[in-house]
Amino acid sequence: MNRYEMIYIIDTDLEETARKELIEKVSALITNNGGEIEKVDETWGKRRLAYAIDYKTEGWYVLVTFQAPVELPRELERNLQINESVLRYLVVKLVEKRSAVKPRANKPAPMEAPADEAAPAEEAPVAEEAPAEEAAPAEEAPAAEETPADAE
Amino acid sequence: MSEDRGERRPRPRGGRRPRRKVCTFCVDKIEFIDYKDVNRLRRFTNERGKILPRRMSGNCAKHQRQLSEAIKRARAIALMPYTVD
Repeated sequence: MNRYEMIYIIDTDLEETARKELIEKVSALITNNGGEIEKVDETWGKRRLAYAIDYKTEGWYVLVTFQAPVELPRELERNLQINESVLRYLVVKLVEKRSAVKPRANKPAPMEAPADEAAPAEEAPVAEEAPAEEAAPAEEAPAAEETPADAE
Repeated sequence: MSEDRGERRPRPRGGRRPRRKVCTFCVDKIEFIDYKDVNRLRRFTNERGKILPRRMSGNCAKHQRQLSEAIKRARAIALMPYTVD
């Protein structure tokens, strides 16, 4: 089992019920093939595309994090490729290290949700990391001066 | 002759040497550069959407590699443009 993150773009011409159905279908595809969904994030919603895809300038973004056996992403991609309402998809394997720091502290509101949700799942590594972080500032006081300046 | 050996990069006469840039990802202690973090990524592309080279961004090799990967992913999913004009 690996942890994956999938993001796909649904055609905005699709009505809401059909869209919900499609999201359900994709989720079912994961669970029926031995995967385990951690989160389906629709908070991104309708977004402007950076470039037109099939002459469309907007898309409905859906972000899914899940655990799955290694064969699943290929099957998933095959199905998404077939579906015409899916403009784009991207399946990425998640790296374990990422919990060390919150990379997205200063993000706009809609993007905040995935970061918060990801945290509980990886609480253990964070807890381990914390004492080390606390010990560090005492040793490297000058380094502390640099960080706030950049955070702005 | 022996005096020259110590100095590796002779400073050009009259020219001011630019300050060595530090990797912003190392400063922020970022282990993983997220392709979804468009606002951060956008700072490392020029106005045409091209990825800035290390000599411009000052990133370390490790983070530059991660960064270019992240930008390319963001482009694939239409979060960032391939080209702007």
